[in-house]
Amino acid sequence: MDTISQSVVRKDHGDKVSGRSLYTGDYAPEGMLFGKLLRAELARARVLRVHVPALPEGYYYVDAKDIPGDNNVNMVLDDSPVFCRETVEYIGEAIAMLCGPDEETVGRLLSACRVDYEKLEPVIRLDEAHESFFDYTYSQGDTEKAFAEADKIYDEQFETGYQEHAYLETQAMTAEPEADGRMFVHGSLQCVYYVRNALQRVLGCGPEGVHVMQDVTGGAFGGKEDYPSVLGCQVAVAALKCGKPVRCVFDRREDMACSPKRHPSRCRYRVSVKDGRVTAMDVDIRFNAGAYSTLSAVVLQRGMISAPGVYQIPNTRIRGRAMKTNTVPCGAFRGFGAPQTFFAVEMMMDHIARDLGVDALTFKQAHLSRQGDITSTGGRYHFPVPLPDMIRETEALCDYRRKKEEYQKPQTGRFRRGIGMSLQFHGGGFTGSGEQDIIKAVVRLRKERDGTVEILAASGEIGQGVRTTFSKIVAQELGLPLERIIFEYPDTALVPDSGPTVASRSIMVVGELLRRAAVKLRERWADGEVQEVEERYRAPDFMIPFTIDHFAGDAYATYSWAVMTAEVEVDTLTGMIRVLDACGSFDVGTPIDRNIVMGQMEGGFLQGIGYASCEKIASDGTGRIRGASFSDYLIPTAMDVPQLRCMLHVESYPDGPYGAKAAGELPLVGAPAAFLEAVEQALGGVSLSHVPFTAEDAFSVLMKGGEG
Amino acid sequence: MVNGYVPASLQEALEIRAGQDVIPYAGGTDLMVKRRPDAQYLFIGRLPELRQITEDENYIHIGAAVTFTEALADPRVPALMKAAVSRIGAPAIRNAGTFGGNVGNASAKADSVPVEVAADAKLRLISLRGERVVEIESFYHGHGTHDLGPDELIAEILLPRTGLDHWYYEKVGGRSALAISRISFASVFDMQEDRITKAAAAFGAVSDTVLRFRDLEAMLIGRSVAEAKDMKPAYLRAYDERLQLTEGRVSAQYRKRVCLNLLEDSLRTFGI
Repeated sequence: MDTISQSVVRKDHGDKVSGRSLYTGDYAPEGMLFGKLLRAELARARVLRVHVPALPEGYYYVDAKDIPGDNNVNMVLDDSPVFCRETVEYIGEAIAMLCGPDEETVGRLLSACRVDYEKLEPVIRLDEAHESFFDYTYSQGDTEKAFAEADKIYDEQFETGYQEHAYLETQAMTAEPEADGRMFVHGSLQCVYYVRNALQRVLGCGPEGVHVMQDVTGGAFGGKEDYPSVLGCQVAVAALKCGKPVRCVFDRREDMACSPKRHPSRCRYRVSVKDGRVTAMDVDIRFNAGAYSTLSAVVLQRGMISAPGVYQIPNTRIRGRAMKTNTVPCGAFRGFGAPQTFFAVEMMMDHIARDLGVDALTFKQAHLSRQGDITSTGGRYHFPVPLPDMIRETEALCDYRRKKEEYQKPQTGRFRRGIGMSLQFHGGGFTGSGEQDIIKAVVRLRKERDGTVEILAASGEIGQGVRTTFSKIVAQELGLPLERIIFEYPDTALVPDSGPTVASRSIMVVGELLRRAAVKLRERWADGEVQEVEERYRAPDFMIPFTIDHFAGDAYATYSWAVMTAEVEVDTLTGMIRVLDACGSFDVGTPIDRNIVMGQMEGGFLQGIGYASCEKIASDGTGRIRGASFSDYLIPTAMDVPQLRCMLHVESYPDGPYGAKAAGELPLVGAPAAFLEAVEQALGGVSLSHVPFTAEDAFSVLMKGGEG
Repeated sequence: MVNGYVPASLQEALEIRAGQDVIPYAGGTDLMVKRRPDAQYLFIGRLPELRQITEDENYIHIGAAVTFTEALADPRVPALMKAAVSRIGAPAIRNAGTFGGNVGNASAKADSVPVEVAADAKLRLISLRGERVVEIESFYHGHGTHDLGPDELIAEILLPRTGLDHWYYEKVGGRSALAISRISFASVFDMQEDRITKAAAAFGAVSDTVLRFRDLEAMLIGRSVAEAKDMKPAYLRAYDERLQLTEGRVSAQYRKRVCLNLLEDSLRTFGI
């Protein structure tokens, strides 16, 4: 094992396990006002009037009229308002904020507010949505010709549901006006510069007027990528009006009902087969974006690019739409659009193989992409594709082929078993030319006289271990002990913009910049002097330039790979599905700390199994999110996957630090397909097409005598 | 702030209970979640008088403040009760949760209650006025309501010492731990001289209260196994008609089919 991979005690370990870490809600409340949001009760309505009760001294009502700049939170289309405009577009949309020194009094005043609405007709369900925020199409080859010449054409639809991030710490932000006139905003977040850019626009100030710091953050999974910009602007506008610090910490129900979730999806796959091979895929993807566009454009792009899976399909036409509905806006979530389409394509390949009477894995293997092959967007797989080896390793670990055959025989007992395998990649970093054209990451290292070195980068610790892994990279390159490397929670006043903490990009992109900066510093090292070095991103030379207009070129510099299996047992009396074993082989390049990477793999795998099985949340006919609590929204416990075995297959990447690639999102992506393929087999070879797939779903298949 | 009383003895607890509007609190795993700032609590979880497990000629007496963990470690507690209790929450919840709390919370989802209903358990209720012993089944009036007087406390659960050797238990939750029951099922079967003397079936978490149908059980009572086998289709049909279940986190239809499956499977394990 490489030295860099050897596990160390995490930099945040001591403070977190001993309870010394201060999260946003832990800061002393003296002099602080508590903000609570007045939220819309209708999915779509004109707000005619808000009746606010008489406010005691020191209590404030804050709404869109108090915004000094413009009422748009900077994301992609800038359509998300800070506080609602003339209409509210989903249940839970913020109309105003009430602030005051006593939290309970604020709560009482809030429940005394009355809103007069003029009710408008909402669009709730994805299948009745007609307005799309984004509608893209890209293609390769001649799909029409392939369909015309096909032996057989398959046409299926796949659906996925919401997923809630279920981070341990809810959304929480604080804004504090400073004596020098700046607004200081800090909280539980992933991307300090996203929040800062949003604040500049809303407060109508330049970069000197505001700075943003990440507090210790209790989990994120993508859920604190865009939303802290919204909440950050709300508390900042309130703090500006009140002239005092304002803090807003969501309770769990509010967080689950009103913060972004994974996009529910409906994907239609039309696939042509000729001589036992897939010749074309015509894919129509619809994501439920919710009421505002937030990050849906980029989530959709990644989903579309992943639509043909890990396979070589000569002719493709991929259409993707992010549909507007009057429901809570969806946003970023580990996997970022890819879990939805990978689920669909893996199930589709499985169903075609079954219809053709061939083993699903053999069928998939015959279509695998290899090094040098073209990608779905006409780019190249520039580096080795280790899937064949990883399949062999995973098969050996879980005895896949023998079990697959054994469970294929008719099962008659109360408990019936099945096993499934899925194959997937995750493209590292921003899609397309985003790293080069939009992010333009910058990092610095600052050496003090005493020889300690501080990392100046905007990446935030969200449990993924970045404070530790960045420090390890710099320590390794400088030959210094880890304690001499300092990496604090980022503050935009102090660190350059190395980009957001998203897209599994931190180690692969920012980590490599830090390594190069460390090389620079090592070469110039002068004892006893303060020194600073800087490094800027440049795209690797091998990359084929990407244009989003045509979805053409290298969407990603390189890919991480995964092979995942799930073995399940279904109780025919109750429909309950137990995961007996879950195995995975993951290629994330060189692990920068083995324990941290294994934690990511196991956690992501389990989060993906939850997404596929017990994690169910829905909006009802009125657009209200149902089951917004931890007694209704069930995430898996350790008891639900007693055996979870992850392996690393290292295919090192020359442009990542010590060969590291993207890690964080990969292990979630393939879990739903592996799980559902296993359930299909346990239920006697039915074809299933949706997740979450619950005990009740399994039971209804059994009741129908095994017809999906 | 939590307002409450910490009595030093059961006598003192009964005095407070008689004089104040208080919510008895023993374990608090549900009350903590439903915290009411305006309520006054009577903390009886540490009273030694309520923390005993004892036996007399006919019954095992489980004190209201005995925790699930304590019961699981006690050889006198019947295996059927342990099967149900071992599936409650997770270890930390079982360390705190108590039998009295599970009964007093008056939820049809309480995992120990279907066992008590199937086993013909009784409750001993006490107050300054004296005590009374009631059948567990008659204790419940409907969702969230029961027969506990405003001055009374649940003192103990009385489980029969005999007749619980042939049992069946199953719980359907949304996951393997920390799951509120979506369906729970307990049944007890007994025979004497080749005749069925008991065929009790209790259905939890599927209606406002735990369900048991003595008139349907009567179809099997006094019969031989062979006769019961003949009776089985009619017996299952009768349950099919009588099980009017509520929709919750799962559909009423799903609940009903699963209840019937479990009922049938339990008969099978009893040789019928």
